[in-house]
Amino acid sequence: MSRGADPPPRVLVVDDHPIWRNGVATGLEEAGCTVAGTAGDGAQALRVAAATRPRVVLLDLNLPDLSGAEVTRRLLAADPSVRVVILSASGERQDVLDAMTAGAAGYLVKSAQFSELLSAVRSAAAGGVVFTPGLAGLVLGEYRRLAAGGDPAASGPAPGGRAAAGGNAPSAGSGGRPGAGAGLGLPAPQLTERETEVLRLVAKGLTYPEIAGLLVLSPRTVQNHVQNTLIKLQLHNKAQLVRYALEQGIG
Amino acid sequence: MAEQMWRVVAVFRVVTLAYAAVLIIRGHHSYAHPGAGFVALAVMCAWTAITIAAYARPRGRQPWLICADVGVAALLVLSTRLIDTGSRISAGAPTIPVSWAAASVLACAVAGGPVAGLAGAVVISAADIAERGALPQSTFSNTVLVLIAGGVGGYVVRLELRAEAAVDRAARREAAIAERERIARGIHDSVLQVLALVSTRGRELGGEAAELARLAGEQESALRSLVSGAPADRPGDGLLDVGGLLGPLGNLRVTVSCPAGAVLLADRPARALAAAAGEALDNVLRHAGADARAWVLVEDDGAAVTVSIRDDGLGFAQGRLAEAAAAGRLGVTQSIAGRLRDVGGNACLTSSPGKGTEVELRVPRG
Repeated sequence: MSRGADPPPRVLVVDDHPIWRNGVATGLEEAGCTVAGTAGDGAQALRVAAATRPRVVLLDLNLPDLSGAEVTRRLLAADPSVRVVILSASGERQDVLDAMTAGAAGYLVKSAQFSELLSAVRSAAAGGVVFTPGLAGLVLGEYRRLAAGGDPAASGPAPGGRAAAGGNAPSAGSGGRPGAGAGLGLPAPQLTERETEVLRLVAKGLTYPEIAGLLVLSPRTVQNHVQNTLIKLQLHNKAQLVRYALEQGIG
Repeated sequence: MAEQMWRVVAVFRVVTLAYAAVLIIRGHHSYAHPGAGFVALAVMCAWTAITIAAYARPRGRQPWLICADVGVAALLVLSTRLIDTGSRISAGAPTIPVSWAAASVLACAVAGGPVAGLAGAVVISAADIAERGALPQSTFSNTVLVLIAGGVGGYVVRLELRAEAAVDRAARREAAIAERERIARGIHDSVLQVLALVSTRGRELGGEAAELARLAGEQESALRSLVSGAPADRPGDGLLDVGGLLGPLGNLRVTVSCPAGAVLLADRPARALAAAAGEALDNVLRHAGADARAWVLVEDDGAAVTVSIRDDGLGFAQGRLAEAAAAGRLGVTQSIAGRLRDVGGNACLTSSPGKGTEVELRVPRG
């Protein structure tokens, strides 16, 4: 399956459960990836990532110390080129969405087939976004929430906590949810009709070639539409954090 | 809480006894039989001691004792005619026990609720009226007050008991949730991880290992939906999260996609949507072929909640409904449509050969 031109991606496996961590690491090595390291919690993941510079981080959301969104933000702050792929059990919808808007490049459920996991690692390493039906449903829901003015109870990131005073990037991280744009006066990002159409089809399990055939587009265009929807959310999230930091006098 | 009510009855009895004693000691010169007045006071003291001691324990609150309580109070009220002079009584002198008699009414109310309270109040009021031989203004007010005390007292006690039961239920539910979370953490840390790994790696090996992997995967998703299942009833607002209801339908062949936040609908439409989606998925398993996969998408555009169920199975040609009916699909589709019509929604079915089937369920927000 490996493409001849690409060097094998260097992967960091982060999970608090040793059986899963080692099982996945072994599987990745057998499939020709290089396992740069493994980590059992968020703090360790950040240390190992700084030391080994992996291309892809396979990140479990259920870590004992830091939230997935927080680890993602800090990994990207330290190395903007790193590709974070979220692995999670089902039923952690908000946590997955938070990690994705914090800049993760993809999301898989833990019950995915190993071949899906491998191709997710490879496509993330190649710069792509791993867009599963579950993620499409989350992104669609998030745009609708933002369009409706968001959730007033969650407007603005929760202040306090691990402040980013010494940080080198807009990681005004508190682990809190960035919440609605309305609270900070930023215009909510919107989906075009075409993007909505494509996202709905992804959420219903159609592959890019199938969608391309249905809408008479090239698969590449479909992929661009899908990635744009996520990038717009991530930019909105980043802009909110920067504005929040400025308003709090941190910037 | 009921215990506190019994303590209130005891305090009321002692305070009213003191009031009656003051009136008897100050007024006994004017009585027809001053000695009898003191006998009545002694009876009241003794009865106060007996009832306080008896009512202190749940076993002592026997119906016959409470009836006797009302009887003693009524007799003491009637004894006023023997002890006091007729002229004082017609001039509006208080009865011998005064408001002490109302303590027995309160005991009825606390023990038996509003009906018993009112019954006790009727007995005491009747004794009061018989003692006067008429219904002057002051007695009328007393009667109304006693009736209100009996009725309202009993009602308040009922409310208290119900509130107590509700608090108790809530505490139990909380304990059950805490227990489930404790188990969920334990399962997350061990069983689920192993099952997920076996399921993920085993399928690559093929053959018998693949079969074991499939079984492990099924158990993993079943266990996971068990421990992540939110309590179905949310008391108070009567709303249900459609995503939470549909989440457990997901497994290796079925992917459920929802918004991150709760998709809230009233109880009935939410359950109708979940039941219809479950039926549509059963339909997929039965008719779409052994390898068919299905995707469930939950969308909320504010005005309506839409659930789409798509499969990549065999499908069938539009317009060949007779064939679909023969295959048993139409009946199920009609049952799904019926469920949604009942809650003001609708269902529509699209399919084409080789391209699978899609059912879209839509329920507008009332």
